[in-house]
Amino acid sequence: MLRITGGRVYDPANGIHGEVKDISISGGSIVAAVEGPGVRTIDATGMVVFPGGVDVHTHVAGAAINFARAMTPEDHRTAAKFIHSPVTRAGAGGATPTTFATGYLYAGMGYTTVNEAAVPVLSARHTHEELRDTPIVDKSCCVLMANNEILLDLLEQGEVERARDVVAWLVWAAKGYGVKAVNPGGVAAWKWGKDAKILSQPVEGYQKVTPAVIIAQLAAIVDGLNLPHPLHLHCNNLGAPGNFTTTLETMKVLEGHRAHMAHLQFHAYGGEDWGSLSSEASKIAEYFNAHPNLTADAGAILFGNSVTITADGPWQHLLYQLTGRKWGNLDVENETGCGIVPYTYKGGNVVNAVQWAVGLELLLLIQDPWRIFLTTDHPNGACFWRYPEIVHLLMNADFRRERVMKLPAKALQRTVLADLDREYSLAEIATITSAGPARALGLPRKGHLGPGADADVTIYNDDPDREAMFRGPRYVLKGGEVVVEEGDIKKVVEGREFIVQPSFDKSVEDYLRPLFEDYYTVTFDNYPVEVERLEGADIRKLDIS
Amino acid sequence: MGGKVTCTLGEVKNRADFIIYWGGNPADCHPLHFTRYTLTPKGKHVPLGRKGRTMVLVDVRETPSVKFSDIFLQVRPGKDFEVLTTLRALLKGRPVDEARVAETGLSLAVLQDLIERMKKARFGVIFFGMGLTMTRGKHLNSAAILSLVAELNAFTKFVCMPVRGHGNVTGADVVMRWSTGYPFGVSLSRGYPRFNPGEFSTIDVLVRRDNDAALILGADPGATMPQPAIDHLASIPTIVLDPKVTHTSRLARVHITTAVTGISAPGTVYRMDEIPLPLKPILRSPYPTDEEVIRRIREKVKEKPAWLPASFAAVPCA
Repeated sequence: MLRITGGRVYDPANGIHGEVKDISISGGSIVAAVEGPGVRTIDATGMVVFPGGVDVHTHVAGAAINFARAMTPEDHRTAAKFIHSPVTRAGAGGATPTTFATGYLYAGMGYTTVNEAAVPVLSARHTHEELRDTPIVDKSCCVLMANNEILLDLLEQGEVERARDVVAWLVWAAKGYGVKAVNPGGVAAWKWGKDAKILSQPVEGYQKVTPAVIIAQLAAIVDGLNLPHPLHLHCNNLGAPGNFTTTLETMKVLEGHRAHMAHLQFHAYGGEDWGSLSSEASKIAEYFNAHPNLTADAGAILFGNSVTITADGPWQHLLYQLTGRKWGNLDVENETGCGIVPYTYKGGNVVNAVQWAVGLELLLLIQDPWRIFLTTDHPNGACFWRYPEIVHLLMNADFRRERVMKLPAKALQRTVLADLDREYSLAEIATITSAGPARALGLPRKGHLGPGADADVTIYNDDPDREAMFRGPRYVLKGGEVVVEEGDIKKVVEGREFIVQPSFDKSVEDYLRPLFEDYYTVTFDNYPVEVERLEGADIRKLDIS
Repeated sequence: MGGKVTCTLGEVKNRADFIIYWGGNPADCHPLHFTRYTLTPKGKHVPLGRKGRTMVLVDVRETPSVKFSDIFLQVRPGKDFEVLTTLRALLKGRPVDEARVAETGLSLAVLQDLIERMKKARFGVIFFGMGLTMTRGKHLNSAAILSLVAELNAFTKFVCMPVRGHGNVTGADVVMRWSTGYPFGVSLSRGYPRFNPGEFSTIDVLVRRDNDAALILGADPGATMPQPAIDHLASIPTIVLDPKVTHTSRLARVHITTAVTGISAPGTVYRMDEIPLPLKPILRSPYPTDEEVIRRIREKVKEKPAWLPASFAAVPCA
């Protein structure tokens, strides 16, 4: 039992905005009060108390990030080193941290829950093995669906009912938590070297199925299955000049359904070509503000080295051709693909400067902090351990303006960031880093400090240098255990994995089995991830509405 | 230069109409490759099966794989890099010296025909083996073939895959990457992972006689490594975990017999395309699994006092 006393508590989910309040912990959960001689006290007087951070969109485990690790030994060489100790395992930080380092880095920054945003079913077993080696944080996975050919074939034939059963079966087979759509139809087309850029145009190899059909049907299926997290959508035309029109059309297709728009920064560009790329964050934010069925994460970029990893294969081929750098591509049979290109965002490059501004503009122009979340689409826009730099830019308008003025003049003309005066409050930061993403993920025990919540608590020194404050919390508690104290990992606990079991008609297996024999190279029985292989599985059974 | 443009084997089965094997003899070394993944299966988009596919074999000698191929190209030993570089030049429309091309054992006309076929393929794939990666040129040969395939994607869909074998070598590579960042050749002697092939790779460490003990798991280096490396293994305390008596177990100080993984021990094996497959044991074994032996050794090692600092610390970058 533990009591945190005297801290200023920011718990936006419970309407607490900086009140001095005690937090009581017992048995790994927050409770109303603890009494007795066995109660340990943490004196947080003068400090700031947050619920543990929740990352709604990150790439930390599985075949894609592991491919990226293999491709970038030069980055590991200069990365932060993690030294083997009686408490911690060895590892490397950098752009693509090793699994153990990932756990230490997230916890060291006060984050206690992460959502791995792109998992192919075929290699989900690999993802879970890496997640098991990612300590401290709790985890969940979104399963890639929008280019699954079995599913697209069903949509082509108009078999929506069966498509719903297949989605449910696939989520459970992967031991996933949500459904991810990446460049709907475009990755399937990429298997023939093509892309899907127009929402209303049939996907390569299909007559009826268009990206718009895939998006609308998947969003409806996810809602129908009662998945706690809405469709997690990476729109078509990522990164392309002028793509804001595609994004607006996509949001219109989604009317009437919940959806989470991933890394919105990469989808809010105007202009005709690279030479005229501009920000259309205002138009995206205007539409978004008026449509409460949507949530989004920023996918902000920061200047410096990164590795871009996405299931969006055609985009990565283009990026390889643009940069002439290394290119990794991995097409996954019948399901998806992935592309990897190391990238350096440069402050003096007009395109990169506009991208940098767009991420911040979206965070500042979208009014409701409950619907826009802090991410960098790690490792695409920047590494997750650089989030505190973005917090600083959001909380201090003078500092931000100073940085904006260093951008190339052309970038300033094509962005509105210089005119924005909004400053985030601590309550709003707690919302976009914890309470909001927890709610969007549908995790009722995360992102708040009310009784019944998991005792994931981050305690910061109230440092006027907000970057320093959020980079190094004074204490981090995970499930009631003090795991970090002044930057040192004190104790390593194992995280849980959140999994959903949607309901489906068992006969769907009779439909899928012969298709597997024809199209797959693994047997049907070896395809699903076995529950027995998972440690710390937290399974939620769902009923159809 | 760098990276890899690849796919899982099912993509080849369902789509590939142009298949090249380079520097390998799959008929003997991967006997199920043709029938399960590449040549004979009727794929979703290759309904004719074998008739819908063209297979090219590139090797320095005739092997039993030749009779499975439609086109056999015999390269002079050690000239693979020159052939690959010529193909890259032809792809980009650069001039090449016909006489120097002929030194590779293949004429310019043959290579022009090959590159045209590659460009016209709907979905092309190159499988490359140790005949390419372990002969003259070594990793530069790999870089050349990886680059050729990446560049072909400006014309059509093309992928490649190293044809790996030796049990679960891919699995070891995958796990090393997620736990240390590097696939092999890792030293943890400073408490954090460092990577330097040629310095920390196994044969180099053994030949330099740098290590004073060895733990060998799932491998038989006594049968395959150079003699100086084997001599060193025989001269130090070498511990072998293996279900069977092997060349290495014979020279080892300690041989712990373990259960056979996949038959009486569960686990995961990663296929050459890095797809993990579950191993489901069908028999019980009186012997412990590799995992159990390692865990028990680790527990004993943990009882020894730590020689590294007790508290976690990140070493700042250089």
